[in-house]
Amino acid sequence: MKVLVYRTSAVLLVIVSGVLLSALLLYAGERSKGPLEDLALSVTSDVARFEKHLVGHDLRKSRSASLRWFDRYRTHQALLNAPDTILTGAYDNNTAESYESIVALEESLQVKLPIIQLYTAWGSKKDQVFPMLRAQAIQDLGSIPLITWEPWLNDFDRNEFPTKQPVERINEGGLKAIASGRYDAYIDKWAAAAKQFGAPFYLRFGHEMNDPYRYPWGPQNNDPADFIVAWRHVVSRFRQLGATNAIWIWSPHPAYRTYRQFYPGNEYVDWIGVTTLNYGTVAPWSEWYSFDEIFGASYAEFSLYGKPMMITEFGSLRVGGDRAAWFQQALSDLPEKYPVVKAVVFYNNTSDVTTTYKSLDWSFNADKQVLAATTRVLKSWRLHHAPTERLLRKKPLAAAPLAAPHSVGE
Amino acid sequence: MGRTSNTGVNALWQYRAAAGTATTQRLRLAVLVVAGCGSILHLADWWFRAEHVASLPLFLVLTFIFWWGILRMVVLWISYLRISKPPQKPALPQRRVAIFTTSSPGEPLSMFEKTLAACARITYPHTTYLLDDTRDPRFREVAERNGAVWLELVGLPGAKAGKINAALQRTDEEFILVLDPDHIPFPNFLDEVLGYFEDEKVGFVQVAQAYYNQYRSFTARGAAEQTYGFYGPTQMGMNGLNCAVAIGANCTFRRTALESIGGHGIGLAEDLITAIRMHAAGWKSVYNPIVVSRGLVPEDLGSFCKQQLKWARGVHEVLFAEVPRLWPKLSFWQRLSYLTVGTYYVSGATMLLFLLIPYLFFWAGMQPANMDFVEFVLNWLPVGLFGVLIYLYVQRWLCHPQEERGLHWRGMCLKFACWPVFFLGFVLSLWNGRIPYIPTAKQADGRFTWFAWPLLVHQLLFIGTLLYVVVERAYYTPEARLALSSGDTWGMMAFAGIAYLMTLGGLFAAYQSSKLTAEEPWATVRLPGISCQLAS
Repeated sequence: MKVLVYRTSAVLLVIVSGVLLSALLLYAGERSKGPLEDLALSVTSDVARFEKHLVGHDLRKSRSASLRWFDRYRTHQALLNAPDTILTGAYDNNTAESYESIVALEESLQVKLPIIQLYTAWGSKKDQVFPMLRAQAIQDLGSIPLITWEPWLNDFDRNEFPTKQPVERINEGGLKAIASGRYDAYIDKWAAAAKQFGAPFYLRFGHEMNDPYRYPWGPQNNDPADFIVAWRHVVSRFRQLGATNAIWIWSPHPAYRTYRQFYPGNEYVDWIGVTTLNYGTVAPWSEWYSFDEIFGASYAEFSLYGKPMMITEFGSLRVGGDRAAWFQQALSDLPEKYPVVKAVVFYNNTSDVTTTYKSLDWSFNADKQVLAATTRVLKSWRLHHAPTERLLRKKPLAAAPLAAPHSVGE
Repeated sequence: MGRTSNTGVNALWQYRAAAGTATTQRLRLAVLVVAGCGSILHLADWWFRAEHVASLPLFLVLTFIFWWGILRMVVLWISYLRISKPPQKPALPQRRVAIFTTSSPGEPLSMFEKTLAACARITYPHTTYLLDDTRDPRFREVAERNGAVWLELVGLPGAKAGKINAALQRTDEEFILVLDPDHIPFPNFLDEVLGYFEDEKVGFVQVAQAYYNQYRSFTARGAAEQTYGFYGPTQMGMNGLNCAVAIGANCTFRRTALESIGGHGIGLAEDLITAIRMHAAGWKSVYNPIVVSRGLVPEDLGSFCKQQLKWARGVHEVLFAEVPRLWPKLSFWQRLSYLTVGTYYVSGATMLLFLLIPYLFFWAGMQPANMDFVEFVLNWLPVGLFGVLIYLYVQRWLCHPQEERGLHWRGMCLKFACWPVFFLGFVLSLWNGRIPYIPTAKQADGRFTWFAWPLLVHQLLFIGTLLYVVVERAYYTPEARLALSSGDTWGMMAFAGIAYLMTLGGLFAAYQSSKLTAEEPWATVRLPGISCQLAS
């Protein structure tokens, strides 16, 4: 009996100590995971930068050479905030390894696209940090990154950002939590990386915040006032950390006329972005709307805010009408009809799963008629790419000292 | 070269024994093993995820080769839990003992002079037999001068084992110590092993093999490093599970045990064949972790690889011919042990597959897994850490810790350099093929050994691939792709680079081997200087 007790307790002791030891190590690993991953990511972008430096492509043939006119804009925040031309851009989802699809689209449209959009979510995962490698790649290609930054709260490590809220209800009142500073560690780290990136970039935070059916930061979980407080809080943190190279795009959904309740104020917004996607007859709730029908009413209001406007997602599905005609109609007299619109970003997404239960294909890079119509119209815009001396002399906005007004919530 | 000073030699020529096992040490080791297994489970939880599969067949191959290595490590850890040292027993009095040592054409006469003189100094009464097929009368003279019985055994099949079996017919001693002629026994050799035969079930007693020429070259040092763990904690663990294997040299047999299995086994791994047959016949084995002799380890890469090829081929022979036949008669641990020993050289095949991964990626665009390299390292790190901790912890049971402790990186380089040899041995055994004749120069001839060619090919492949990738990325990769594919490309190149660096160790060994001047290391060994006092 004594032997049995002795042996059993020795075995138990060994097992418990062993499990504790490995748990301890795993805990230590969990703790050091963040810094190690940051290190790995910075190594990756450093390697890419070093390689770029070594390879030193023939600059006369590089994409940035044909976008040289844009250099004057992207290095001048004042010009970026009030361009005297219309900047074009695109989002393409097939860019995991390469931006060649953007280059191919440019060849079809016979135009270079100064804006390249990417989407990234909030969270603790390793790909939810500031997308340094991509931003750098876009910058090196001669364009400016437009980062749509989505405040999903589901992916935050609960040890790092403790809350009593159950994980399935984490997004309820999420904007209030952001404003209260719960996610400041994340915001600050992101902002610091953005500052390190150095070059101006467009930052579209919490887009379509007035759509109650789409994203968790919408009005189904939050009051409009909470959005304003959260927005101001985020912008203030960036300014305090000196990440003034972020150009803030406030981007409501034009279909819900409540958008004015969500406007954070002129001090906190640089651009107004509007999504003008025509769903056609893809779903029972949708019908074929023209660009004017989608955009007209909100333009009438936003053009009075004194901010440049950007069509942040421009596109149409195929079902329910003539897509080429839709593009043609939307773009042909845009500069005259909507003079406050200073940028149009094409939405070339082959697989959009955010709206319906099935994936939607917004891509038009294989649609010859749409490409032909768009190419024709873009040519007819006769955009001049020589910013006036008056604008160039103006001091960059970012350089101006900011009073950093504190957000209402603080 | 190196430490051939008198003090170094003296430290080697002392009777040594591995430390005993205290309960607290074994408990501590068990804690480490449990923790190691826990971290392996954690790694498995991460590894086996659907999102990691890039190409299912390739992923399965990768999984097999990776987990093959992990599994072997776990089996070794578990055997460590049973580490045991047999208690010292006084030699049985008044028993008749024979020492068999064999000579073959081409072996240096002066070596036999030393070995036979050392045998004569063994204190326990015994008869030494020289099993000779040199047809050289000088060998007879040397034997008789040193009081050994000369037996001429010419034209027997089965090399060493054939001569041993023939000598068994012509002698009648109860116990037979089989001693390799390059091993210089200490006077107390028989005193330390004969006691264990008190147990009538004990068929053989094996002691450690230690060396005295490891300072001669990188190859010798690496080859010796590979054996330290085996003759310390590994065999001690196997001893605890009654799985200790005979290693050909330094093994003392009970005549009746040998006779019960029809004599010494014949084959390329004759020692292992003998051991498995004895275990199957119900004999017990004892492994005593003591240094009571020192011998020679191959000094040049060619000889080392030749020896490894012979063993690889022989071990597979045991795996394919003996293990299935004797399976029902073996205990669970013996089965596991012989499977583990028998598949040691499969690492040649798994290493080949590992090495192919980056080249498949660069030349064929194939990727087995969607694993983030950093994530892999983070998940693997605890396993690696406990692996190293356990490796270092069990070094307290090395036979000569002061001399043998370390991370044994030379041994790892040498094992890496031998993967083509292992692979060849594995492939040949699939159709029971014969080992091709590969000449190894007795004297250094300034030439690279044939065995280093695969390493050179590997070097060329790596450098060629590096050039290809550099040119491809400098001139042909669209700039829109460059930055985003940079991480994957150079991560894979780093992976290939690690293997490339490993080849450097083997190539250095080959280069050094080509310059090595042959010496007679036994010439400087002073037999009266051997100390039978247990060194601590």
